[in-house]
Amino acid sequence: MNLSFFDQFTSPCLLGIPLILLSLLFPALLLPAPDNRWVTNRLSTLQLWFVHLITKQLMIPLNKAGHKWALILTSLMTFLLTINLLGLLPYTFTPTTQLSMNMALAFPLWLATLLTGLRNQPSASLGHLLPEGTPTPLIPALIMIETTSLLIRPLALGVRLTANLTAGHLLIQLISTATTALLPIIPAVSILTALILLLLTILEVAVAMIQAYVFVLLLSLYLQENI
Amino acid sequence: VLHATRPLHTTQQCLAPLPPLPEKGGEVRYGLIPEEFFQFLYPKTGVTGPYMLGTGLLLYFLSKEIYVINHETVAAACILSVIIYGVKKFGSNVAAFADKLNEEKVAKALAVKNEAIKDLETAIEQEKKEQWRVEGRSYLFDAKRNNIAMLLETNYRERLLMVYNEVKKRLDYQVAMQNLKRQKEQDHMIQWVEKNVIQSITPQQQKESIAKCILDLKALSKSAQAAV
Repeated sequence: MNLSFFDQFTSPCLLGIPLILLSLLFPALLLPAPDNRWVTNRLSTLQLWFVHLITKQLMIPLNKAGHKWALILTSLMTFLLTINLLGLLPYTFTPTTQLSMNMALAFPLWLATLLTGLRNQPSASLGHLLPEGTPTPLIPALIMIETTSLLIRPLALGVRLTANLTAGHLLIQLISTATTALLPIIPAVSILTALILLLLTILEVAVAMIQAYVFVLLLSLYLQENI
Repeated sequence: VLHATRPLHTTQQCLAPLPPLPEKGGEVRYGLIPEEFFQFLYPKTGVTGPYMLGTGLLLYFLSKEIYVINHETVAAACILSVIIYGVKKFGSNVAAFADKLNEEKVAKALAVKNEAIKDLETAIEQEKKEQWRVEGRSYLFDAKRNNIAMLLETNYRERLLMVYNEVKKRLDYQVAMQNLKRQKEQDHMIQWVEKNVIQSITPQQQKESIAKCILDLKALSKSAQAAV
């Protein structure tokens, strides 16, 4: 099929049936279900070890009330990681390139942290709007700035993930198009471009993992401030 | 599936022990295609059968443009090469790591079991030692009994000695009293006799005795001069 550059970002449809839900749920099929055994096979052992690692890292800075968030943060991390990494395969659709999906993830979670903070410790939450040790004349301006930065957090979270992944995928498409187009004309430059593409692919693998981690890390940081 | 095919309530329902995991996973060639596929085609097409099938399919898709070579192909080649490189390079390390995790888990449980066994063995040895000690109980009691008897004896003799000393002190006192009394009587009597004798000496007797002494002295002096 002849693809334009943006066909990979359109929500998949089959005969008019939207497949977005399938593409969101499919990565879960690839993770092994925990068996009834004590000593499991290698894949289950590694999965368990990985989940322990993530949960421990996320929960160490949080107090006891924050441990209620362990399940959602770990599952969010696994979700984003698998979706991002699977999106690097050819002809796949990456749901996290859609701004709607990322905002749908970021906004409610951020709002939950904000409301938890305002509900349980309102003065401490509002106190975060003013950093320590600011000179007195700067206080009004700084409060405006901090409020703006607070309110822009969900937008930043969603857009960061979307932009990183979309830009990466688009770059891969463009450079591979360049390689394909240059191949009959100047094979040498084509090979150079292919080398660049290889490096870019490695970068994209790293970016996929880092972006998932950063998303969850920032949420846990917002939680730390407010819980 | 197993539960559906098993007749109801004819055997003891038991989910343990679980059947052991197979030693190795299914055999695959080129990491993708199971060995059974090649075995399936072998009787009819021999060794090269599956390869011919694969090549033919690929060429069919390419020539009929069912699979179009576009930019995604290049991207696919890149990501697949990265994946294959990663798997080849780090595959065995990851497998060894997973095995190590399992080993540590089993080793921890074994360590607990061995600790318990060791503790019980130590307890058994100590119990045996206590039983051996019980056999020597009679010697212990005899020694203790002797000890106590000796203590009692010593105590009795000490008290006996004390009694003896006290009685002797009292008797010595009486003896000393008697001696003192006699001494005093003697002295008193001597003094009385001397006093009376001195009183009885009259001055006449005194003169006579002095004259006699002078005569004696003169006689002695005469004999003494002669000696010189």
